[in-house]
Amino acid sequence: MSHLRRIFLKFYLLFANSKVEAELEKEIGAHLTLLEDEYLRQGMTSEDARRAARLAYGGVEQAKQRHRDERGFQGLGQILQDTRYTIRLLRKSSGFTVTAILMLALGIGATTAIFSIVEAVLLRPLPFPDPDRLVTLGDEVEGLHCASCSHSSVTAPDIRNYMRDVQSFSQLGGYRGRLFELSGIGDPAAVNGTRMSGELFAALGVPPLLGRTFTQQEDEEGQQVVVLSYGMWRNRFHGDANVLGSKILLYRKPYNVIGVMPRDFEFPLNPGQANQSEFWLPLSLQPEEFTAGSAASWNSRMVGRLKPGITAERAQSDADRVARQTMRDYPAYMRSLRIHAVVMPLHEDTVRQARPLVRTLLFAVIVVLLIVCANLVGLLLVRAIRRRREIAVRLALGARAGTLLRHAIVESMVLSIAGGAIGLALAAVALRVGVSLLPETLPRINEIGLEWRVMLFALGLALLTGFVCGLAPAFAAISTSVNETLKEGGRTGTPGSGHSRLRSALVVGEIAVALTLLTASGLLLRSFEKMRDVELGFRPDNTLAALYVLPQQRYGTQPAIDEFRKTLLNDLGQLPGADAVGITSFLPAAGNNWGIAFMIEGYVTPKDAGLNMASMSLVEGDPFEALGIRVLRGRVFTESDNAGSPLVALVNRKMAERYWPGQDPIGKRLRRGLAETSTPWMTVVGEVDDVKLGPADAETMPQVYQPVTQTVASEGPLASAGELSATDGWIVLHSRMDPEQMEDTLRATMRKIDPQLPLYQMQTMEHAISKSEAPRRFNTVLISSFAIAAVLLSVLGIYAVIAFSVALREQEMAVRIALGCQRSGVILLILNSGARLAAVGCGLGLLGAVAASRLLRSFLFEVSPFDPGVLAFSAIAMLLLALAASALPARRGSSADPMLALRGE
Amino acid sequence: MSNKDKESIQLLQGTLDLIVLRTLATMGPQHAYQIATRLQQISDRLLNLNQGTLYPALMRLEQYGWIKGTWGRTESNREAKYYEITKAGQKALKEETQGWRRMSALVERLLLEES
Repeated sequence: MSHLRRIFLKFYLLFANSKVEAELEKEIGAHLTLLEDEYLRQGMTSEDARRAARLAYGGVEQAKQRHRDERGFQGLGQILQDTRYTIRLLRKSSGFTVTAILMLALGIGATTAIFSIVEAVLLRPLPFPDPDRLVTLGDEVEGLHCASCSHSSVTAPDIRNYMRDVQSFSQLGGYRGRLFELSGIGDPAAVNGTRMSGELFAALGVPPLLGRTFTQQEDEEGQQVVVLSYGMWRNRFHGDANVLGSKILLYRKPYNVIGVMPRDFEFPLNPGQANQSEFWLPLSLQPEEFTAGSAASWNSRMVGRLKPGITAERAQSDADRVARQTMRDYPAYMRSLRIHAVVMPLHEDTVRQARPLVRTLLFAVIVVLLIVCANLVGLLLVRAIRRRREIAVRLALGARAGTLLRHAIVESMVLSIAGGAIGLALAAVALRVGVSLLPETLPRINEIGLEWRVMLFALGLALLTGFVCGLAPAFAAISTSVNETLKEGGRTGTPGSGHSRLRSALVVGEIAVALTLLTASGLLLRSFEKMRDVELGFRPDNTLAALYVLPQQRYGTQPAIDEFRKTLLNDLGQLPGADAVGITSFLPAAGNNWGIAFMIEGYVTPKDAGLNMASMSLVEGDPFEALGIRVLRGRVFTESDNAGSPLVALVNRKMAERYWPGQDPIGKRLRRGLAETSTPWMTVVGEVDDVKLGPADAETMPQVYQPVTQTVASEGPLASAGELSATDGWIVLHSRMDPEQMEDTLRATMRKIDPQLPLYQMQTMEHAISKSEAPRRFNTVLISSFAIAAVLLSVLGIYAVIAFSVALREQEMAVRIALGCQRSGVILLILNSGARLAAVGCGLGLLGAVAASRLLRSFLFEVSPFDPGVLAFSAIAMLLLALAASALPARRGSSADPMLALRGE
Repeated sequence: MSNKDKESIQLLQGTLDLIVLRTLATMGPQHAYQIATRLQQISDRLLNLNQGTLYPALMRLEQYGWIKGTWGRTESNREAKYYEITKAGQKALKEETQGWRRMSALVERLLLEES
């Protein structure tokens, strides 16, 4: 208790110094008086008494100092005093101060903002209790080479088998996200929801905010209950506390609201913001999901909590045992498929794909920060050199090296802390604005913010920056030689002095890292350009797309569905301005496609080639015309290609080239499934151009098109009993009018056919393309803006160094001119020194670019990380900028007045 | 070093606090000069102490809240700051005294064993 009190007082007394000092003075005075009285009484003269009293007391000043040391944290007091002194000094040179602080604010702010992304996306533990025990469980299907399979997935029978037979998990469950038609509250809308096993709530371990979650038993009984997300409860129920027990309609089936999850509960941890689940309902697997094609659809995922003491490896071998049993039980039509169970930490599964991007951003921002530091060191050095005489005088008067060191570091710390504070504010603003601009490829975006750990990071960064940057000028100060400096008089101008080597090294370093970043940005820009040049395979202008999903409640039979589609196509075709209209299951550029396995007649699959995967678009009407997909050979589908007629298909160029190289694909046959699947053959009647179903920089898959009416017939044993086809699809409408104007017309037409049916994700094809480009645009814009900042800062750096050396050598220049040197000669001399620095920096920068190429390679598209054009262009640009930065001081140097030389000092 | 210094006792770290507390506890409120005089009396002038040395100790004790200083007047009508032991100070004195006794007993024992 008393110790705490003392610590508090020691702090407090730092600030109440003068009062205590006065009191001490008074007390010592009183003491001396008493001593004097005593000596007087002993018969001394007053003179002697005073001396004796002083003697007995000991050194008054020493006593005071000891008193000060004892009563307050003197180190701190000293620093406080230094800080006041520094701030006074800094205020006097406001230009320097503002430049330094703004630069630091930029560097620290950008680093903090990026770090807060790193922290939320990569570093922060998952928002579930004991998150290290949570893992994903899924299958790796042998021979399935697809880019979108980075997350392991499972089939409906897998979920049942794994949940029943794997012993390593205390809880394990499956889930599957999808779009739901939500009605019964407000306008019908499309909402992301997740079907999931009751056990998953227990595995995740997050209790609901209101009500309860559903149990595994309710799941298996097929209870129609739903748990809402906080966001949905807030937005659609206005945070109504009596929401429990109310009903919502999902695809027009009533579901009972039984609970609301807390605000920070997010599951699954999907990348981006658009795909977040707004509610959770029981998985309740239906019998048909265990049969036919559904049993071979890897469309779900599993998450479980490991039992205490069980490692992920053990769980994997346990699950693999179950997987082998599952394979033994495979129906005849998929007997040759081979799967392995894969167990992966949920955290790893969540962040794996985001890691390269986030790392690159961090790398870029650290480069910027380094340049900022180098610039600051340069500025501080210049200041230290300018103040050499002052420092020399202080040293001569007995200032200790420690004091000078402390002053230099305090100065740089004051700057960096001020810069850090402003930087933190900048970061806060950037995050406010920036999070909505983040690409949809990053998970856990909602958690990004200025958290305490980020604040701590910013503070630490500011302190570290200040300390490190203060070291060089500090040592410059203490290594000042008193004699030399004072003797030198005003002429501090010999080129060898003033740590010019250190400053040059700093500038070379700056230019090198700036160039590294500049080439990275150049390569990314080039990639972006290349992506824009990619042949998309369709014509995006004046085309509108929208998704419909038919609820089974109303459209339960195939004739009802067929009737709907016929009316829809017919009505849309008659709209004024409509050129062509069609329906397709996969929308180009939207990235919502997946692949299925095919058998090709007469094609022997090479060993290790795996399965013959292709995307399968089910079409009706004339989507080829509406999307402007070129027909290369043969014909497209007609009305007469229907459920009763021979099965037909179209293939894209890639498919044709892979399986029938150098041949005419027309008349060739292919079928769905594997060798052992007894599906009927489809005859190829035409070949169309390759279409980018995802982003333009993704690889084009082999593609097959089929009339939607022939789906069930072509599926053979893969079709489940009573399977309905064409329950959903993308409407594509090409018109002679502005597609945005067509939106209302399209909606109105749909309302006439079914007033309750919402249209989802209505967008122009141009918009769809722009969305697919967003991740690359984001990388490119961000890295480029860092590169621009880096280049500007390094140009500022080179300017400062050259300008300063010119200022130091002004007299030398004057002498040269007085002796007859041409002014242009002086300009050349100075430009030369700038160019030398820049050239060395560029050389190192190109090496840096080579070193960074590994990090960058995964972001490049059809551009080599050593693209000579980009490398040369960046280096030349950097050199020119450096020359331009030296030109200004060069002109000033050349205008040195020769009289200056004659007059001397 | 002079002879005189050799004979005089160097104060052990921390013992000055104890001595001051003890003095205040037995003598009642005292000013710094009185305390210094008292110390010299007890130690038969063996304890050669600059009187200024007392000040940091007094400050420390005051910050701990063990003593309290108030300005008053001496018999000779001079201003002086009188220090008084507080309740917390009494308690601390008891603890410190015990600690000192244990410590000195231990040292004593050690020295006995050594010789």
